[in-house]
Amino acid sequence: MSLFLPKLTCKKDIDEVIKAVAEKVVVLRFGRDEDSVCLQLDEILSKTSHDLSNMASIYIVDVDKAPIYTRYFDISYIPSTVFFFNGQHMKVDYGSPDHTKFVGSFKTKQDFIDLIEVIYRGAMRGKMIVQSPIDPQNIPKYDLLYHGI
Amino acid sequence: MRIHSSSLFLSQVKEARRTLKKPQVEKFDCTQHKQTFWCYCCGLDIESNVTDGNMAVLYGGLIEHMATPEHRKNTHKFWWENKADPKLRDKVIIAEEETERFKAEVAKALESYVEKEDEYIKQQADLIRAQEKHRQEVLQSLLERDAEPESFNGPNGTDVSAESSVSSQFMSQGSGQQAGSSCVDSMVEAPWAAAGQGLTFIGYQDSSNGGNVHTGAVPPWLQDDPLEGTSGAATHSEIGPSLQDFLKQKEQEKLKKLPPNRVGANFDHSSHTDANWLPSFGRVWNSGRRWQSRHQFRQEEGKKKRQKRKKDHGTEGSKKTKATEQLTDFDNA
Repeated sequence: MSLFLPKLTCKKDIDEVIKAVAEKVVVLRFGRDEDSVCLQLDEILSKTSHDLSNMASIYIVDVDKAPIYTRYFDISYIPSTVFFFNGQHMKVDYGSPDHTKFVGSFKTKQDFIDLIEVIYRGAMRGKMIVQSPIDPQNIPKYDLLYHGI
Repeated sequence: MRIHSSSLFLSQVKEARRTLKKPQVEKFDCTQHKQTFWCYCCGLDIESNVTDGNMAVLYGGLIEHMATPEHRKNTHKFWWENKADPKLRDKVIIAEEETERFKAEVAKALESYVEKEDEYIKQQADLIRAQEKHRQEVLQSLLERDAEPESFNGPNGTDVSAESSVSSQFMSQGSGQQAGSSCVDSMVEAPWAAAGQGLTFIGYQDSSNGGNVHTGAVPPWLQDDPLEGTSGAATHSEIGPSLQDFLKQKEQEKLKKLPPNRVGANFDHSSHTDANWLPSFGRVWNSGRRWQSRHQFRQEEGKKKRQKRKKDHGTEGSKKTKATEQLTDFDNA
């Protein structure tokens, strides 16, 4: 259930969004709508999207619909959330091995709000990588698998 | 106490008596005519002259006071108490008949004074008129002859002797300036004096088919231009930027307020990219710069495709493609 969040169904749409949104964080949730963790995350995203509307634009992407991005962003677990600002990818150090995306769901709405704020402020200052404000205990753990070529 | 025959008091009274027969009326001068006179007998300060603001009857007040019965009583008392010279006493009192006579004389004197004043005023008026006329004649002669400055200053010299303050000021202005500018001065005065002389006539303006400013017609700058019809109807009804331009301008202003060193500040949001475009993405396993990750990815994709093609061509059996496996079972710790 996406709860009124806009959906992107093809690469072109995703490209459009990344390029077009100006001076706001672009949040791309990669996952599947039926997945239980995705549902949890989607609820948090949907409930906070209005309050964060000045700082962020949130979109839902089905991993099966845009496989090239699924590969390019190296999405191994779902849900994975990727952040952009003015066409630039924003990295966040969560204390986990992968800084390029947030894997899993947030524990509370406030965690997500704090994260967005930190990303926004960092972007305004010209930082392309920021420190996550979320307590590391609340960060979901996973094993990063290395896919050798 | 003795009242000396030559005291101030008595001398004033003497003066007053003299004016009984011939009252003096003079133009009121506030510096001189407000004097007061101290009557010893009554112990009062009395205004010496009578005035209505414009004219003054000298010693009028004094005489009036001396005629009053109270003054007579007081004088007798004074004389008895101080044992003064009775001869002098009568001088200080003025009989009523005398005051009547005085008043009649005063009326006559006032009349004659007023007449004299009128005459004087008329004389002054005549003088002023004559000067004005003379000035006009001089101006006329100037315009007609395109006169030299000397002829202007010539009649000027004779007029300076006149005592009218207004006209002499004007003349002195003219003579005090340089030759060139004195002509300019006269030119300023000329239009209203000349009324058609010295102006270029450009013909009678016929505005009977249109209107003019007096009839309240629409002014030319508010009328629709015959030239405008060719450029299109919409252009002349709106002025200023269109709504879109205006909104864009607003957005630009907002942008200017943002910090200039923010991420992607110079990112061109409207640039058209092809289908192969990928955003710059710092990949997980590379240590180089971000654009390299894009490059690397493309290389990998290329390799995968080549390998896939090879396999398809090489064998007929189905082989699994090397797609990255997606693991979805994931426990929330």
